[in-house]
Amino acid sequence: MKGGLRRELIGLAWVGPWIIGFLAFMLVPALMSLRSSLSDDPLLQAPLWVGMDNYARLLTDEVFHKALLNTFIYAGAAIPLSVLLAVVLASLLNTRGLRWKRFFEAAVFVPTLAPLVASSMVWMWVLNGRYGLLNAALSVVGIDGPNWLLEKGWAMAALVLIALWGVGQAVILCVAALKEVPEQLYEAADLDGMGPVRAFIHITLPMISPVVLFNTIAMLIGAFQVFVVPFVLFQKDKGGPDKSAYFYTSYLYDNAFVFGQMGYASAMAWVQMLIILALTGLLFLASRRLVFYRAG
Amino acid sequence: MSENGGKPRAADLSRRAALGVFAAAGIGYACFGPRAGRERTDGRLVLDYWEKWTGIEGKAMQKIVREFNDSQDRLYVRYFATAGIDEKAQIAIAGGAPPDVVGLWNYSVPAFAAADAILPLDDLGRPYGVRPEMYAAGVRQVTTYKGRMLAAVNTGGVLALYYNKAQFREAGLNPERPPRTIPEFDAAAKTLLVRKGDRIERMGFHHREPGWWSFVWGNHFGGSLYDEGANRSTADSPENIAGYDWVQSFPREYGLGAVNEFRSSFGNYDSPLNAFISGRLSMVVQGPWLANMINLHRPDLEYGVAPFPVAESLYEPDRPIGLIDTDVLVIPRGALHPEASMEFIAYTQQQRVVEELSTVHCKGSPLAASSEAFVRDHPNRGIAVFEAIARSPRAFRVPPTPCWAQMKDEMDRALDRVWNLQGAPEAILKRSRERSQAALDLYAANAARRAGAGANALEASA
Repeated sequence: MKGGLRRELIGLAWVGPWIIGFLAFMLVPALMSLRSSLSDDPLLQAPLWVGMDNYARLLTDEVFHKALLNTFIYAGAAIPLSVLLAVVLASLLNTRGLRWKRFFEAAVFVPTLAPLVASSMVWMWVLNGRYGLLNAALSVVGIDGPNWLLEKGWAMAALVLIALWGVGQAVILCVAALKEVPEQLYEAADLDGMGPVRAFIHITLPMISPVVLFNTIAMLIGAFQVFVVPFVLFQKDKGGPDKSAYFYTSYLYDNAFVFGQMGYASAMAWVQMLIILALTGLLFLASRRLVFYRAG
Repeated sequence: MSENGGKPRAADLSRRAALGVFAAAGIGYACFGPRAGRERTDGRLVLDYWEKWTGIEGKAMQKIVREFNDSQDRLYVRYFATAGIDEKAQIAIAGGAPPDVVGLWNYSVPAFAAADAILPLDDLGRPYGVRPEMYAAGVRQVTTYKGRMLAAVNTGGVLALYYNKAQFREAGLNPERPPRTIPEFDAAAKTLLVRKGDRIERMGFHHREPGWWSFVWGNHFGGSLYDEGANRSTADSPENIAGYDWVQSFPREYGLGAVNEFRSSFGNYDSPLNAFISGRLSMVVQGPWLANMINLHRPDLEYGVAPFPVAESLYEPDRPIGLIDTDVLVIPRGALHPEASMEFIAYTQQQRVVEELSTVHCKGSPLAASSEAFVRDHPNRGIAVFEAIARSPRAFRVPPTPCWAQMKDEMDRALDRVWNLQGAPEAILKRSRERSQAALDLYAANAARRAGAGANALEASA
């Protein structure tokens, strides 16, 4: 056996398990899901070919529209606020001479380690309208807190609040990026008489912009797949008051496993993927003007 | 790679050999390693039984499984407590690897039956005398779908009104005369209300506790949600509209903000903070099993049980109205030994076994007749009321349609909108009916296409 071919075979043998895993657990199921999306597929019976009917139904399904709108509202509120909070917290944690730095870093990061179901149960009590810690805290400063989980206008706000609580991972990435900003840039800015705010805008933000882009894309994908927290938080009234906390993935799950409409759920999954792809593409387009990559 | 001119060293070879041995061992173990076997050394046939029950309910059923196994030398049943039983049973049946017996909820039977995913019990049950007539009149309905018997019932669940006798007495109401009609009920609820400033401290009744049965209110005004013969949703019938107008009268009367704020004070169902057990609600609609929670968390609670009130014109003391909500046993399609599965199910249907299980579960007996001792020694002091509803010809089941999950979702949404004053019940129920009907029509159209495709295939093969 020639050396080149042998090396190829050895290489393939090493990546083989991954390729087999990808084919068996990603590509083949994805293709099956595509076929299912073109069928009436109630799981317990043989699929029945319906062409584009499932996709056409999405156009007139008012619950689908509501779930999609809720998901966009959630993403539109949670992502910018989380990105902003991550940068602000990272900058604070990166402050020179900060005391108890390790403690604050841990405090920001630890929430991301808590299992989502467990933390959602805790949030249920924190956000309880009558006995919740949050309203108790608000009452100390004279604010009569809302009924977070049972009022239409507040359920979404509660979920965005919980998303902000789990921003630790993005903060850690931003801290790492901040540490990579060359010190001489700040020294030069200082010599030019630039204040700290302008230095932040003109030096820090461009230098960490690749990480901000990465955080934004990761959050976008997460936001469009949000499921566990609303599922646990609104287990009594599925989707919250007037379905104001009913999201894309919640409706997809219900169609697949509660209503037994695997074909319709598969169509939703493909549309979801296309939406995420399109939005990620838009972000990459925007990043050409907004993200600064250092050479070398 | 080695650094000595590309030639592998002995250490590299032995490392590769070790990795190869580990990989081969792993693949060998995966391919030929031990399996969860279904054979026993004593030669008995093993049956797998998936059931949703855990805790004391699961233990009670496991005891019965043990008793069955002890009585046998041919069969051996393995009990698997299974969360999300509907989803898992669907996936197992679709995958062709179902268990031998599955414990479903009654409302799932039509969806499984319409897809031929469970086996008819008419012939299988005949040798054991298992047939619909053995059950109480109300319960009988849930065992059949389109004229075939598909499920056996091992415990009886029926909904009724629980009321707190001490609070009735304290409010000047007669604790031995619970409300029978909706006007009496409304008057009692108003009398039982306790406010402290803007806040509600106690309510007579709250339609959203526990919130599991959003769809029953119209039935107490003479309505129903589904016309089985015509396959039509009747969600916005005048009776249902009257029922949901009544539901909406509560947030209108007491204030939406106040009733929702009050609701946030309700604790978990199985806890001392349960709204009824803790005394926050004086009346609640629930099944007989609630008494297990009362006996556990607040055994001194003085409670009574009565049929849930109905519209004045519908009151008939001997023919109470209530929802049948039971657990059922079915044999899935693809079960390897249906006769053996039926033998186990038949064992669970004996009066002694049913009553033993129902007593621990704190439920009524689903059978047409109960023993005197069962009623006398039952842990729920209102068991006679539940038994009377189960035997009433006006007891009702959830609509027997494979689209029930979607229809219920529509009714949950409708109740939420009615309660939160998002519109007039008539308009909300009309939308609910339209969406339910769309689901029914789509299912029927696809079923017809499937039947046509099957007929065409048969013609082609002929």
